[in-house]
Amino acid sequence: MYLKLKRFAGQLLFAANVFVVFLLFFEDLLVVPVWLQTVGRMHPLLLHFPIVILLIAMLLEFFRFKPENTSNTFYKSFLENMLLAGSLFAAATVVMGMFLSKEEGYGGDTLLWHKWTGAGIFFLASIIYLIRDQSWYKSTLAKMSAVAVVTGLTLTGHYGAELTHGDNFIFEPVLANRKKQSVNPDEALVYNDVIKPILEQKCTSCHNPEKVKGELILSDSESIKRGGKSGKLFASDQTGLFFQRIHLPETDKKHMPPKGKSQLTADELVLLSLWVKQQPDFNQKLTELKETDSLRVLATALLQPASSSDQYNFVAADADVIKGLNNDYRTITPVAVNSPALLVNIYNRSAFSPAQLDELEKVREQIVALNLNKMPVKDEHLKTIGKFVNLRRLDLNFTDITASGLKNLAQLQHLRNISIAGTKVGAKDLESVLPGLKALKSLTVWNTTLSAGDISTLKKKYPGVIFEDGFRDTGENPLKLNPPQIKNESVIFAGVLPLQLKHPIKGVELRYTLDGSEPDSVKSAIFKEGVSLTESAPVKVRAFKQGWHGSDVSTFDFFKSRYKPDSVRLLFPLNRVHQAEGANTFFDHKLGVIGANNPAWANNWGGVRDNDLGLFAQFDSPVSVSNVGLHYMIEEDTGIFPPEVIEIWGGTTPDNMKLLSKFKAGMPAKGDKPVLKTVQTTFKAEKITCMKIVARPLNTIPDWHRNKGKRALLLVDEIFVN
Amino acid sequence: MEKEIIEHGFSFNRRRFLSSMSLGIGGVALGSLLMPDLFKGGSLDEESLAAGIPHFAPKAKRVIYLFQNGAPSQQELFDYKPKLRDLFGQEIPPSVRGTQRLTGMTANQASFPLVGSFVNFKQYGESRAWVSDLMPYTAKIVDDLCFVKSMYTEAINHDPALTFLQTGAQQGNRPSMGSWLSYGLGNENKNLPNFTVLLSRGVGNGQGVYSKLWSNGFLDSVHQGVQFSKGEDPVLYLRDPDGMDRKERREMLDNLSVLNDLSYQEFGDPEIVAKVKQYEMAYRMQTAVPEIMDLSREPDDIIKLYGPDCLVPGTYAANCLLARKLSENGVRFVQLYHQGWDQHGNLPYEITQQAKDVDQASAALVTDLKQRGLLDETLVIWGGEFGRTSYTQGKLTEDNYGRDHHPRCFTIWMAGGGIKPGLVYGETDELGYNIATNPVHVHDFQATVLHQLGLNHEKLTFKHLGRRYRLTDVSGKVVRDILS
Repeated sequence: MYLKLKRFAGQLLFAANVFVVFLLFFEDLLVVPVWLQTVGRMHPLLLHFPIVILLIAMLLEFFRFKPENTSNTFYKSFLENMLLAGSLFAAATVVMGMFLSKEEGYGGDTLLWHKWTGAGIFFLASIIYLIRDQSWYKSTLAKMSAVAVVTGLTLTGHYGAELTHGDNFIFEPVLANRKKQSVNPDEALVYNDVIKPILEQKCTSCHNPEKVKGELILSDSESIKRGGKSGKLFASDQTGLFFQRIHLPETDKKHMPPKGKSQLTADELVLLSLWVKQQPDFNQKLTELKETDSLRVLATALLQPASSSDQYNFVAADADVIKGLNNDYRTITPVAVNSPALLVNIYNRSAFSPAQLDELEKVREQIVALNLNKMPVKDEHLKTIGKFVNLRRLDLNFTDITASGLKNLAQLQHLRNISIAGTKVGAKDLESVLPGLKALKSLTVWNTTLSAGDISTLKKKYPGVIFEDGFRDTGENPLKLNPPQIKNESVIFAGVLPLQLKHPIKGVELRYTLDGSEPDSVKSAIFKEGVSLTESAPVKVRAFKQGWHGSDVSTFDFFKSRYKPDSVRLLFPLNRVHQAEGANTFFDHKLGVIGANNPAWANNWGGVRDNDLGLFAQFDSPVSVSNVGLHYMIEEDTGIFPPEVIEIWGGTTPDNMKLLSKFKAGMPAKGDKPVLKTVQTTFKAEKITCMKIVARPLNTIPDWHRNKGKRALLLVDEIFVN
Repeated sequence: MEKEIIEHGFSFNRRRFLSSMSLGIGGVALGSLLMPDLFKGGSLDEESLAAGIPHFAPKAKRVIYLFQNGAPSQQELFDYKPKLRDLFGQEIPPSVRGTQRLTGMTANQASFPLVGSFVNFKQYGESRAWVSDLMPYTAKIVDDLCFVKSMYTEAINHDPALTFLQTGAQQGNRPSMGSWLSYGLGNENKNLPNFTVLLSRGVGNGQGVYSKLWSNGFLDSVHQGVQFSKGEDPVLYLRDPDGMDRKERREMLDNLSVLNDLSYQEFGDPEIVAKVKQYEMAYRMQTAVPEIMDLSREPDDIIKLYGPDCLVPGTYAANCLLARKLSENGVRFVQLYHQGWDQHGNLPYEITQQAKDVDQASAALVTDLKQRGLLDETLVIWGGEFGRTSYTQGKLTEDNYGRDHHPRCFTIWMAGGGIKPGLVYGETDELGYNIATNPVHVHDFQATVLHQLGLNHEKLTFKHLGRRYRLTDVSGKVVRDILS
């Protein structure tokens, strides 16, 4: 059985030889039917078998005549079988390759070499198989044959790879990198330096003279102009074939580059589109395009290596030195992991000493940025900084330097950004320093002694430098001052209250009234320390200052409450949710505010609905009372109404109190805004030690309200007794 | 015979062992040339990050995030949609609305009438960006700004959306963006916390902010955000108690750290070390903070620039000025929150007030950084947690309406820090409901911010509970189109 099979295989090999010779002879006439194309396309799959099997076989063949091998029967038969199998696989591979080469897009010298080296291996292997048992076939010949086949395999493989992956596939990453660095946008040609590299990366592996898919070659300008099978590539509008194919959706069969191959990036797509749209010119320089031309802008960006990736040509400082220089007020950090460049920040004015700069000399080569903003740095310190030869950025805002110090920086050839805002540097001084700083890109000069005119002169003289002059108040658009504030802890007082008004802006004039009229900038009294209040009053204040619009009016209601009871208790309970501080709520000199979300709301508003608000207050020594006021909230929308009626009772003992006053509060109308109000009553002065206050919530909410007929909520935060 | 074979197996002498081992080691060495991280013991990133160094050269060193809490309506501020005015009162087409889930506030609304902005828009600057009349100061600096009109998020309610933007996840307990930066970049100024938070509030309908938004999550607690409050003591508990002077304080801290050190040696808990570090920083902050809070050295122009409110503690303007001072002093991440942008109703009035609060000071901050030469290394971000609907919530009248939450698109702006100035990126459709071009997911935005600070968002990780976490969770792509 084994011998039978082997004999059959030998015959098959012979047949294959004949077939291949035949195919090679009549190659031009060969027409591959569609179903056979599939077989042909399996060439790249199968080709690995003959390579490996033949390599093994040739390795064994090389050592075949060693004495220990000639006696080894397994060695002998294994080698023979491997060689046979390898040759048969080679035959199949050659045949498939022939089929594949008939498909469109293959041609050129590389294909020719690939075909003949491939076929050569097959013939050579077959011959070896045939003659290897002859008596004249000795060690030398065996070794020569083995070397010849292996060389053939290498060459064939190389040419094949070139067909599939394109020229220079292996060295491409290395070559591409080298190329990228060397183009200067000022000299670059649009086609050569921008478009061609993209085509080479994404297109020419299939569209080159060797592999001419779609009869299109994209590797040289002449062929590009010629176009391909479907016609010319370019048209005056967007209907050009080239434009269409790269813009088709990726799933479309005609989309280029084909699905599965590496695709154009968004930038590349735009670059190619822009280029084909304007009738491709193969010799145009990038600089011949308008400066605002999109193609030029994009191409320049592509050609220029990103500025962030600064290349530093110095070595890193010792890590321990850096660590030793770091302290609480000075941080020194590398720009990034593995970068030799150092950033230095010095903080805390009160902790600054010149030694902090001097010590940096140990890393003077590595410092690329130094931040000394707001430090008391003087001119002499800049001498040290002048030694930091690789400095790119120097921040000296609000330091004590002048231009004479800046001269020390003249030898810093890399210095790009300097900030000297808030210093005393003047225009003349700068003139002497700027010519030396060749690399300077930006200079921040806001809030220096430079005038607007100085800066525009500098801008003209040094067009490559951005002079940042920032905000300058011209006084043209005055702003409105913000309203004044009060500093008094409470607006409720017993005797005399020194008024404390304030405004955050220096030099502001505060004008006020106490009679409820609007203060103005001419007639109203100017607030000074020592102004005091002796009676309740609405204090209205406005702020004025030269160069500003006057502020809005601030109104602060001050309340006098001369007598504070020594003890208070509730006669009836407060609402469960409006307990505040209980009976003490009403005499704690703290007012509530509108808005239930504010914490002051819950803490300061005592409230009743289902019963009266009743308080019993006692004074340890008799007081002469003639006026009582209630401070309450109105918010008609949520059903918070003023009290309907208030009664004040007083006497010297709890048992013999008489009604001193009974009075009402005004009711709100529909739609009134929420407001805080005071209602008060004045009566004949009465000496009392006990007092009872009863306030009844509105019993029936009026008909216009959605809660009509129900009882209203009464909220009181303070009661004033005078 | 069998015995000899076995013995032969054992007679593997030392020399042979070593020689074959050396070949083996050679093979491993060869392989390891292709795997640089193999023998580093722990990943390269974690090691280098412990030192707080950027992965690559950064464009920005610091961030100031002007968070507009409550979600400002893009239709009234930056996303100009004239078509909405033409279609006033008409139902939004179902094809536009799609399957967007709604909040509980409008889910039962019978109709969804479109409403255009009550305010007019104009184009400004060389970039011709559209800005509404509510933002006159911002309009003046559009050429320094990059508007991203195509932001979108996944959450539809304030808390999850805020948490998502700040921490990369909708549920709490992850580190905030500022904490991640503090962890990734380390301190620039060792006398101040790396991550500070400033709060202010407008008159508009407000939503809460909670300290979980500036939480360090599972990161070391030194990365937690420190809130500066508006009172006389901006940092609580910083002042020495009455009767204690600085010398005494120093002695107390020295003695305490000896005790803490003993405790650390016994338990090895890294939080003890963190605590000591915090005490020391608090000690140094006692001199650094007053230096920063001192406004008397600010030139008069600055007050005009930021507006008079900048001297009233606790206002947005004051916080912007303070943010600049903190950032200038090396604080990596200054987070502002301005509350009151949640205009479900009464939008025209409320948004006008809100815009007044923030417009001048936000623009001033950008200008101020620029005039100090700091804008190129400081990234300023302005924006809320999501957008608002192009249809009205509640009753629509000629001059009053409201807008509900809308996660599908919103506008933010960024300035400085290596972001392209004068750019308007992304577009929404004519009705301002869906994104038409260049969508930017919250994770994309976060990835971009980290990238500008020299951090690879996929490598800035922290291992916690057996998993590596990152700010951008499992997605996010750097938006390279907006980088300069």
